[in-house]
Amino acid sequence: MKVIEELVLDENNVAFHPMMGNSYQLNPIAKEIVSAIKQSKSKDEILQELSLKYDVAKEELFIDISDFFAKLKVYGLLS
Amino acid sequence: MSKQKYEIPTINKIDFAMASKYGSPVKSQKIRTEIDGVKISELTEKFGSPIFVFSQKQIEEKYHTLHNAFSSRYPDVTFGWSYKTNYLNEICKIYHDLGSVAEVVSEFEYQKARALGVEGKDIIFNGPYKPKADLKIAVEEGAKIHVDNLFEINDLEEIAEELGIKIPVAIRINMDTGIYPQWSRFGFNFENGDALDAVERMYAGGKLYLTGIHSHIGTFMLDANAYRLATMKIMQLKERVERKFNAEIAYIDLGGGFASKSNLKGIYQSAEVVVPTADDYAEAITNAIYEFNKSENLPKLYLETGRHLIDEAGYLLTSVWGHKRFPDGKKGYILDAGVNLLYTSTWYNFNIELDKRYEGDNEASMLNGPLCMNIDIIEENLMLPPLDRGSVLTISPVGAYNYTQAMQFIRYKPAVVLIDKEGTPRVIKEVDDLATINYKEV
Ligand SMILES: Cc1ncc(COP(=O)(O)O)c(C=O)c1O
Repeated sequence: MKVIEELVLDENNVAFHPMMGNSYQLNPIAKEIVSAIKQSKSKDEILQELSLKYDVAKEELFIDISDFFAKLKVYGLLS
Repeated sequence: MSKQKYEIPTINKIDFAMASKYGSPVKSQKIRTEIDGVKISELTEKFGSPIFVFSQKQIEEKYHTLHNAFSSRYPDVTFGWSYKTNYLNEICKIYHDLGSVAEVVSEFEYQKARALGVEGKDIIFNGPYKPKADLKIAVEEGAKIHVDNLFEINDLEEIAEELGIKIPVAIRINMDTGIYPQWSRFGFNFENGDALDAVERMYAGGKLYLTGIHSHIGTFMLDANAYRLATMKIMQLKERVERKFNAEIAYIDLGGGFASKSNLKGIYQSAEVVVPTADDYAEAITNAIYEFNKSENLPKLYLETGRHLIDEAGYLLTSVWGHKRFPDGKKGYILDAGVNLLYTSTWYNFNIELDKRYEGDNEASMLNGPLCMNIDIIEENLMLPPLDRGSVLTISPVGAYNYTQAMQFIRYKPAVVLIDKEGTPRVIKEVDDLATINYKEV
């Protein structure tokens, strides 16, 4: 099981990881992405979905999602 | 179906220890939307990015504050604008219009002052290197020559011979004022007797006579008392010279060195706490003159303040070009201005402000300039919200030395805008181009 799947998300957009004992502040769209990863969606699928939903150029969204994934790795939530 | 408003996705680890100690470092943003009523966005849209911006209003306010601090305590004080601090013509003109003479340290600074209409008698010529041909012109035009070394005494004697005149000069001295490092490279030392010996040497030659004594004890002096000691020693030398050589020292010059309100690296109290006020400096100097004056007349007092007068009136606007995530997790921003334009970044923790409020939590970010050089770092670690390409940062204070010492390196030197007292911005120096770079190449 991937580490990120153990994240517990609450309604204040705070995520808690019981094993590591760490808490994280997310914003709503970050929470959506984390939920999507938990559902085993690929980065590409997430990009498609969000670009349909939000008012943002796909190239720009690609940079931001890549950055977000990089940060999850730095935190040890993704490998 | 219309799309929803987008926000950059963010995730930040919550550091509870930090959160309780410093309030909310993930939420606070420093924002500057305008300078003297002119919108930051208007400035970059109209004049480009990066761009230096100066405020005439702030220059003049600072000048009046410092001048009043002295003139309210002392009857005869004149400021000399330190050209090297910022010698853009329009900036020099503001100081001359306010009543400053010119303080120059090279032939081109001298020529710049003359070209701006400053008379020779209103130019103080300082520095360790004064080419003889230029020194001669300065003598002929009646400039105030501040002698730095014995070779210069020889040069001046030859010039006196050539012109068939006796030349009035001033001497630069250095001394212990409790400041480390002591600036002992310039002029003649007071404590070991070199200064008095040099005056003796002048009078022995019979071609020069002393009318002034000068010192510049260093820059960014955080201790006003150092000026009291400097003034005391200048006044003691003045008295000895007047007695011994029957001279009349018409003026003393305390140089520059007053600090600006910038935050120095390694000093953790704020500038408001550690930087002496204009009144502190003025009190230290003028009290010492009154206390140690032994002559009938008080000497005229010159100051060559640079940094203190202009630093806070200058801003650098720079735009985000891109960002990346470094392997250690830090966010790295690429800006269009870097250390090529920020000579003082070695000493200052700049005030860095955003052009508007950004959505999202702050995270540790590094600000890098556009140079393809590993040293191009403006800030190692700054808490910033997620910025976009085109976000504008205002960096201050950068009015002193940064423009004159900006490197013509890799990128063109940017344009400079002055916002006048009516709040109207205008270009006072255009951005360089290939012709500037290639100029004089053969
Ligand atoms: C002789 C002299 N006068 C004045 C200045 C201006 O100094 P500041 O900008 O610290 O006031 C300098 C700067 O180094 C200087 O060398």
